[in-house]
Parts: sequence; structure tokens; C-alpha cells
Amino acid sequence: MKPSAFDYVAPRTVADAVDALAAGAQVLAGGQSLLLDMHLQRAHPALVADINHVPGLDELTASDGTLTVGALVRHQTFESPGAVPGPLGDLFARAVVTIAHPPIRARGTMAGSLAWAHPASEWCALAVALDAVVELRSTRGTREIPAGEYFLGPFQTAREPDELLTAVRYPLLAPDTGVAFTEHRRTGFSFAQVAVGAALTVRDGVITEARIGLANCADRPLRAHAAERTLIGAEPSSPAFTMAGEAASTEDAAPVPEPYADVDYRRHVIAVLVARTLREAAPV
Amino acid sequence: MVDRWLRREDERLLTGAGRFVADLRVDGRLDAVFVRSEVAHGVLREVDCSAARETPGVAGAWSAADLPGLPPMPGGEPAREWPALVEDRVRYPGEALAVVLGDDRYHAEDGAARVRTRIDPLPAVVTARDAAADSVALFDGLSNVALRGEAGSPIAGEVWERAAVVVESRYRQQLLMPSPMECRTILCVPEGDRLTVWSGHQAPHRLRSELAALLDRPEESVRVVVPDTGGAFGSKSAVFPEFIVVAWLAVRLGRPVRWVEDRRESLLVATRGRGQDQHVRLAADADGRLLAYELTVEADVGAYPHLGVAFPMQTAWMATGPYTTPLVHATVRSVLTNTMITYPYRGAGRPEATSPLERTMDVLARRLDLDPAELRRRNLIPPELFPYRTPTGRTYDSGDHPAALDLALRTLGYDGWRAEQARRRADPAALPVGIGLSCYVERSGGERGSLHDYVGVEAGEDGTVVARCGAASSGQSHSTVFPALVAETLGVEPARVRLIEGDTDELPGGVGSFGSRSAQIDGAGLQHAAGLLIEEARERAARMWDLPVEETAWSEGAVHPVRGTAAMGLSELVKRTGPLRIDERYEADMAFPFGTHAAVVEVDPDLGTVRVLRLVAVDDCGRALDPAVVRGQAFGSIVQGLGQALYEGVPFGDDGVPLLANGLLDYLLPTYAEIPPIDLRETRTPTPRTPLGAKGAGESGCIGTPPAIVNAVADALRLDHPERLQMPLTPDVVWRAAA
Amino acid sequence: MKITLTVNDAAYPLDVEPRRVLADALRDDCGLTGTHLGCEQGVCGACTVLVDGEAVRSCLMLAVQCDGVPIRTVEGLAGPGGEPHPLQRAFSAERGLQCGFCTPGFLMLAAGALDHDPRLGDEEVADLVRSNLCRCTGYEPIRRAITRAARDHQNGQEGRHRSV
Ligand SMILES: Cc1cc2nc3c(=O)[nH]c(=O)nc-3n(C[C@H](O)[C@H](O)[C@H](O)COP(=O)(O)OP(=O)(O)OC[C@H]3O[C@@H](n4cnc5c(N)ncnc54)[C@H](O)[C@@H]3O)c2cc1C
Ligand code: FES
Ligand code: FES
Repeated sequence: MKPSAFDYVAPRTVADAVDALAAGAQVLAGGQSLLLDMHLQRAHPALVADINHVPGLDELTASDGTLTVGALVRHQTFESPGAVPGPLGDLFARAVVTIAHPPIRARGTMAGSLAWAHPASEWCALAVALDAVVELRSTRGTREIPAGEYFLGPFQTAREPDELLTAVRYPLLAPDTGVAFTEHRRTGFSFAQVAVGAALTVRDGVITEARIGLANCADRPLRAHAAERTLIGAEPSSPAFTMAGEAASTEDAAPVPEPYADVDYRRHVIAVLVARTLREAAPV
Repeated sequence: MVDRWLRREDERLLTGAGRFVADLRVDGRLDAVFVRSEVAHGVLREVDCSAARETPGVAGAWSAADLPGLPPMPGGEPAREWPALVEDRVRYPGEALAVVLGDDRYHAEDGAARVRTRIDPLPAVVTARDAAADSVALFDGLSNVALRGEAGSPIAGEVWERAAVVVESRYRQQLLMPSPMECRTILCVPEGDRLTVWSGHQAPHRLRSELAALLDRPEESVRVVVPDTGGAFGSKSAVFPEFIVVAWLAVRLGRPVRWVEDRRESLLVATRGRGQDQHVRLAADADGRLLAYELTVEADVGAYPHLGVAFPMQTAWMATGPYTTPLVHATVRSVLTNTMITYPYRGAGRPEATSPLERTMDVLARRLDLDPAELRRRNLIPPELFPYRTPTGRTYDSGDHPAALDLALRTLGYDGWRAEQARRRADPAALPVGIGLSCYVERSGGERGSLHDYVGVEAGEDGTVVARCGAASSGQSHSTVFPALVAETLGVEPARVRLIEGDTDELPGGVGSFGSRSAQIDGAGLQHAAGLLIEEARERAARMWDLPVEETAWSEGAVHPVRGTAAMGLSELVKRTGPLRIDERYEADMAFPFGTHAAVVEVDPDLGTVRVLRLVAVDDCGRALDPAVVRGQAFGSIVQGLGQALYEGVPFGDDGVPLLANGLLDYLLPTYAEIPPIDLRETRTPTPRTPLGAKGAGESGCIGTPPAIVNAVADALRLDHPERLQMPLTPDVVWRAAA
Repeated sequence: MKITLTVNDAAYPLDVEPRRVLADALRDDCGLTGTHLGCEQGVCGACTVLVDGEAVRSCLMLAVQCDGVPIRTVEGLAGPGGEPHPLQRAFSAERGLQCGFCTPGFLMLAAGALDHDPRLGDEEVADLVRSNLCRCTGYEPIRRAITRAARDHQNGQEGRHRSV
């Protein structure tokens, strides 16, 4: 289980990093997935660009209603709810503790998760649910892609191989947004069988905005649009949430069978978990 | 200094000074990497190592064709030989097709990646039940059934017809990976006529004799040394194909060669445990008295006949369990499948016996509307019936089973939990809880032929004492426990006694550490040898002092005349009378530890998740040499049992390849997040079969815990016939059973 | 590539291939074999060391990433005079190890946490124990050991060497 040989560069600027990518380099951020893939002979880069020395990429800023997460912001950062203002910080803090365990979170990055695009990734599900935007830089310039269009399949994204994911941007959530994150998994070490993140806004007794992100409910992260539609205008109630769960499970999700979770079971869990998450986001 | 560390092993292991095989530095050592089959079953068409040989850092690459004369695995059958490297047919996924030696693992893997292989796949069979049908034959023209056996006598049809209740059920004891944190290791160092083999191993002497025979050289020319070993649990007790290749190449090249198995290959090709498809019938009268029990086992033994094909007989012999059932019959078919071989894993055959019986007891209790504890109490073998000969041919040495059951119920607060269960059943919002029991009896010490070991005690001129034994520790604290026992027997300070084990140069023979035998056999043997040393010392002193032996006595590590005070310590005695060393082959009979395990679980029927709220284990292993060490073993064993019950398993794809590509992210070992509060209690019924009175310890958790947990889940869900609950009870399994 | 690993305050000038993972460099190139490899996939934690004071999986870092960065391994846990670290004493006292293969990883994980916050609460300790695998002890003795060490550390009677 050893990586095959590669050359190594440690660029000191974004421009140098982008040049290295143009020369065929693969990015090393936290390395918590890249090294795993190399050990398992799933990744054989000829050149690795270690971006850990690029200044500025570790910045986390919130301004004008937008949160910008630089490529080197580690999972760990989000464990303190104050790191990100408002309910978004609360949601991230609830989600992050379900990602691996502390030593992995000390190295792994949120942007790395989005680059890796594991279908069970918690961050990826939240990115699509929250209308995040992914910023990509290459020698050809910079472009932004909405998260909803970015994920194409397991470990597949719209990022071109020579593009550096420089930042992820999230609209901050309004202060009266209720949030929750729940995860169903087999042991403390396993990836999620299903995970659900939700953000609900209730005004004058009816739901005015709903965002539901689903991890490991398809070959890519999903936003549960059908489920959300059933909620808009409804009063927050157990039956409404159960209905939303049903919609998420039958209309939004496209579960892939796995050992210990066939499609029927997956669909069932999605329905249950979505309803539970919504209930927690907006206590009835 | 001494008091700072509770165990002698601790200082080196806590400071990074432990020495595991992978830590040993030997100049010129080569690392072996195996090219492995990605298919489960197929015809090998081509292996081309030429590109690998050209790879920088690679010292050589070989397929079976390149190594004529490479010996096959020992213990098989000529018609169904297990070659160390595949010759023409692949029979299990991961089977080694070629070996590459490099100056380190990186370069060897570079080479391995360049070995070209071509295999035409064949259909694969991965369960005993499927394989027994013989629609896919592992060996052309031969049945997949490798062995048939039985224990007890067939039960007449009328017994079943006349019984008030008969329960029938099917169970699967899933395949498990023993998963010590250190995988397998071997380092072979040829020096002149000698070959020194370093290996994290449980049976060094057996490894020596097998390797010597395979390499066709005298036993004395091979030395096996076991340094620190990172756990074993049964998985390091055999010789393996990779060992043969490494030893063979080391000798042929005259260079040190090592293989340090990594986790990915371990999950493919380490020996597995369990792997039985079972069918049971249990008959009782209207009062719940057991009348007859029949167990039919189809055991998956893996791809080749090997020393372990008869291990499932362990299950048959122990089928009677702790009950007075008058008629018991167990039959076994060991069947070849396209998987790496099944071999003993902690519990080895006894978990497979306990689980079907204990699960069926609960079904019977429900059928009779009896409390499961009461049903067991009515049938447990009472203390006055020991020694008890079972219908399946075992003679249990001793026991007080009802006492263990009662202690478990008291410790758990059984009635309190039943009340809580009733309360929750009345509250639709509450999650159901269930309570599960399991009474077990197991066998420790070994089978005939391996109920002995070599032990020695030697007194030195400097006043120290060296104890030797054929055991090998992989975490069981031998270096602490055995010297303490010898010191106690001799009446000297424990610090003066040290243990040497796991080195074949130190003792004429040895059996090793498996089947919970070390304390029972080696411990009793060391106590015996220390006693002989005292006798010898008294005889020498008697001669010196010109006294009859009866006029000498021994106390506090010294011999003295019965009348008078002039004592002579061991060091003085050795100085005056020469070397003093006792070597013994000590033999004892098997013993039968027993106990009761209880579990309380809470089930979320909507998701199928099981939360274990409480576990209680009452174990009786006779005299515990070091109670804290025994408890440590019991605790770890229970957690492995929890793993079997809820998390661990080997799922297969349709092609017969295990779906474990993500390693320990797929094969889920319990983490601390899964550990409930666990209460350990002991009862003490020393075995009358040795003066020491110790029975084996350390396997009970794997034996008693799984059925206790499964019974608790069935109880929570009020399932009348919980056949759908097959381990591991993953959420999807529980959800389906609850639906 | 030429790099210098600074491990337990000693400098190890090395010439390594970029692909060499930190764990192998420590074990084979620096001869510090107390760091173990149990899975090489970040799961078991037997390879945990402190890099710049942070507990990380040394199987998931490259040696070249650690050029010039202070590293602490189990060999550097005891005090300068060989005085055991409170964690080492506590692991022995609570029987937090059997085979000892996982032990260096748990020790370094806990050492890093104690350095950051000597007042580890029960939940933090549980979080640490949940991070690594042990197949022998069943974890509870490890939890007790870390809790005891945290208590001893706070009481301050047990020497006070920081781990980085
Ligand atoms: C034991 C274990 C358990 C885990 N459990 C979970 C879990 O429960 N949930 C979960 O979501 N994840 C889990 N992970 C993965 C972990 O979260 C990783 O940290 C994360 O997936 C990748 O982040 P990274 O910074 O480490 O990326 P790296 O490993 O450095 O990179 C991953 C991939 O993304 C590319 N990449 C990274 N950053 C960029 C960038 N800025 N621009 C372009 N490409 C880039 C790399 O080239 C590589 O292909 C686990 C990992 C381990 C080892
Ligand atoms: S070896 Fe690094 S986590 Fe297991
Ligand atoms: S003590 Fe053996 S793995 Fe932890």
C-alpha cells in the first residue's frame, strides 16, 4: 500500500500553483483522501503540487452576506460554532463532527472534500443545499460554478484537471433560520449511509424557505428540491415533515445499493432521516 | 523503578522501544510483495514477471513456473494440493500469483505493479451451502465436501413427534476477520547453515518444524523467534503460503527476506473465523425440560483442505452446551469454497456452538411462555453432576452454572430491566428495549495431542531465576504473569524471575498459545517445574549436609535443615552444586470454563439501529493467575463479540470477491463510540485437573456476547421466530426483521 | 529530495523520494520504530504523531511535507531524564495496553490534546479514544488512562514536560 513515484512541488503563490496544474500536477491539500487513494492505487499522479504553503488560501471571511472559505481552511475550523456567523456556523458545526475524527479533521479541508466529491461527503451535500459557488482558477482564468452544476457523479466534478479550487462561497443564512444535521452510519468510523442537512425559515407560522441537502442518496450530493416544494407555504408539522421525507426519498433520491444498504432500505432511511432532520430544524 | 510499570512489557511498549518484526533492522534485507489474483476463481493463463525484474530497486520476481520445487502448503491432500504460488488455477481472491522482492516495499510494489497476469474467470461459490451443491467444483472431478463428522448419536424420529414443543431454526455464523492491529509478519535471515525466522506468531515450535520439513532441512537448523506481537486472536497460528515463499527465497538467495502484510492484503488473504451455515432442532416437554437437540453444520473451510478442516468438529463436540439435554446429535460437513481458508479465530468453534443453542433457547422460552432465565435454570447442569459426560463426548470437569446465571441476573438488575421494558411497551413514544441472555460452556487447554507444553525453570548463580515455556504472547502479559507465578511458588521476589518464551532455541519443544491454553497448561506446568526445582534443591542440600531429604525444608527461596537455621539460598546452592535447571514436558487435561452473558439493547425500529445499553459477563475460569489480566482479556473479548453481533462481516460481490476494497472503512471494527457500559463478574470453580486450578480465559466474550445481544434485539422487537436476525445485525437487517 | 526531519529535537538529514510517507521515514530512515502502521488508510491511528504540535496520521502525510517542522513521536514522550510522561504511567496503571501495537498512537493523540488543553473533559477524552482503533483492550482502560493522566497533569505533581 505505497504510493507510486511522483515529483513534488510546493508552490508559494496561486499563480505558481496554477502553473503546476497546467503542467499536469495534482493538488495536495489536506492529503487525507489523496494519500488514501495513492495507497489504494487509485491515484497515480506524476506530479503533486502541495498547496499548503500558498499564503491566503487559508482565509475564512464573511462579508456582505457571503462566507468565503479558502482552499486551505481545515475541517477542524468549523468545529467552533463562532467561526462562521449565524445559523450557517451552527449548521457547519453540527455537520463537521460527523466527518472522520479529530486528527483527520486537523488536516483535511472543506475545499478538498468538494474537489474529491465522495457521494457521502457531508460538505458536498451542504454545498448544493446552500447554493454555494465554487471558484476555480487556471492559467486560462477564473470561473465560478454553482454547486448544483458542479457535481457530476462519484468523484466526478465540472472542475477541469488543471483548475485549482481556490474558494467556496456560501450565502449566509438569515438569523431566524432553523438548522439541523443528522447522519445515519454503522459505526463511529464509517462514512454516512445517509446524511441530511436542513435549513428552514418559518415566518408567520408558515415555512417560507427550505433547503435540504442529501449525502449518499445518489451517485452525487443532492438538494431535495421536491421535498422542499412540499414544505413551502406549509405549517411546520410532523405530517408535513413526513410528507417531505417521502418526497425526498421517492422523487429526489436515486440511491445506489451498497453492502448493508440496498435501495429499499436506503429509501426508507432517507424518508425517516429527512423528517427527523426537519423536525429538529424547526421544533414543532 | 519496578513499581512504576504494572507489567514488565509496559516500559518498552510505552516508550517506543517495543520490537515487532517490522521494527527489526537487518542489513541487506529484501521486502516481499505478492501479486494477487483479483478474481475469486479462474484458470491462470499467464504470469509475466519480465518487466518487474527490470524495475529499479527490484531484486527479483518469480511466478510458480520460475520456482520449480517450491513446496506446497503442508497438511493438505495430494489430490487437492495448495501450492504456495498459484500454478494453474486460482481458488480464492487474493491468492498469490507471483512474488517480487525489492530493497524496500515501495520498490517491490513498483515491480509488482508491472507483473502481467491473465486469468480466465470461473463461477465462484462463497458459502458452504452453495458450495455443497457441487454445481461449481473447486477441484475438477472431486466433490467440494472435504470432511464429514458427527458427535453423539442420531435421534429417533419419535422423540421429535412426542415432544410437547419442537423449535427449528437456521442460522448463519458469518465470516469474520480476526484483525489484530499488527498484520502477519515474517523475516527470514539465513546465516551459514542456520535459518533464523522472526515472526509474530502463536506457535513458534510448530512453525519451526513445518518450515524445516518444507525446506527439507534438519529442525535444529531452523530457529524461530517471536518478538513483540501485535495481537493474534488465532490468525497467527499457522504456516501460510507467503511464509513458504519467503523462507524458500531467503535460503535460495542467501539473503534476509521479509514479508510484512499490509491491511489491504490482510483483508483479502488473512485467515477468517466462523463461517458456518447451521440448522437446529430443539425439543422440550411442556415444562420446558429439554429432550433433544440436533445441530447440523455446513462449515465453510475455504479453498483448500488444510489442518483446519476438522475444526468445525469443535462445534459438534460442544453442541450440548451447559444443559442436561439427554439426546444431542451434531453433524458437520466441511465444504470448500472460493475464499481464503477459515481457521480458528478467538473462540474457534465454541461461539458457533453457543450461538445457535442460546438463540434457540430464547425461541423456545417464547413458545412456552416461560421467562428465558427460568427456562435455562430448569436445564442447567447442576453442580453435583460434575464431572459430567455429555452426549457429544465431552467430559466437563467442574462447574456451578446456576450460580453464574444468578450472579449475571443480579448484576444486571434483571427484574428492573423487565419492569423498564414493560413501561416502554406501554408508551408508544418510547424506544423498545430488550434483554438477552446466553449461558455458555467452552473448552480450554487444547485437544488430545496438544494438551502439553514444554516448560523449564532454571536457577542462576546470581540468584535470578529463568522460566521458560513453549507459549508465545501476543498481548497476554506472559512476561509478567508467569514469573509472578514461579516467584510465588519458590517464595522469591518476582523481580528475580524472568521469562523466556517464543524462542525455539531455548526449549526442546513447545506447543504455543491458542485455544486459551497458556495459563492452564503452561502456567500449571511452570508451577509444577518450580516445585520440582524445590525438590531437587532439597535433595542437593540433603546430600551436602548429609541429611535425609525429609530433614530439609524450603521456604522463602531458600533451603534449610528442618532443625536449625542455616538457610542456603538458590544462588549459593548453584555455586556449590552446579547448574540447576528443570525441564519438563507438562501435560494436563482440557477444562471447561463457563458463565453467563447478558445484554440490554434499545432498538430504533424505524432505522433499525441497535444501541447496546448494558452488557454483563459472568465468567468462571477457575483460578485466575492475575485477575486484572484476565479481566482485560475478558473485556477485549466482549468487544470482539460485540463486533460479530453488530458490525463485522465479509460481504461478497456476485463474482465472489469480498466487498472490502476500502479496507477498515468497509470492515468495521468496533470503536470506542460503540462500547456500552460493561460489567464483569467472576465465579471461581477451580479445575480439579491441575493443582493450579486455572482454566483458560480470554475467549468467553466472543462466545457469550453475540447471542446475548441477538436475543436482546429479538426480545426488544418481540419476534416469535427471529430467523431474519442474522449477524451482523446491521440496521438494514434489524429494520427488515422488525417490519 | 533532501530534507531535514526534526524529530524529538534531533535533526535527521534525509534524502527521500517525494512519495515516502512520514511514517516510513520515521520508522526506516530515522530508526524510530515506535510509530506503527496498522492500516495505512487513516483509520486505525497507530501511526499518530505530533507535527507542529498537532496530532496527525503519519501514514497520510509525506515526509517532504515535514521538512523543518518539529515532530514528536512516542520516543520523545518521556522527559529529558527519561522520566515517564504522565500518560505513560497512566497507561500502565490502568492497563491501557495489551499487545501495545496501537499504544504509541493513542499516547501521541492524547499528548497532543493535553498540550492544547490540560483540562480535558470527559467528552474530549471520549472523542480522543473514539479516534483510534484498539483490538485488544476494548478501549475502556484507555479512556481511564487518559482521564487519569489529565488529572495528574492538572495536579501538576507529575513533572511538566510539554510534548512540543
Ligand atoms: C479515515 C477517514 C475517514 C474519513 N471520513 C470522512 C467522512 O466521514 N466524511 C467525509 O466527507 N470525508 C471523510 N474523509 C475524507 C476527508 O474529509 C478528506 O479530508 C477530504 O475528503 C479531502 O480533503 P483534503 O484536504 O484532505 O484533500 P486531499 O486529500 O488533499 O485531496 C483530495 C482530492 O481533491 C483534490 N484537491 C484537493 N484540494 C484541491 C483544490 N483546492 N483544488 C483542486 N483539487 C483539489 C486532490 O488533488 C485530490 O484528488 C475521511 C478520510 C479518512 C482518511
Ligand atoms: S496506519 Fe495510519 S491510521 Fe492506520
Ligand atoms: S493493545 Fe493491542 S491493539 Fe491495542
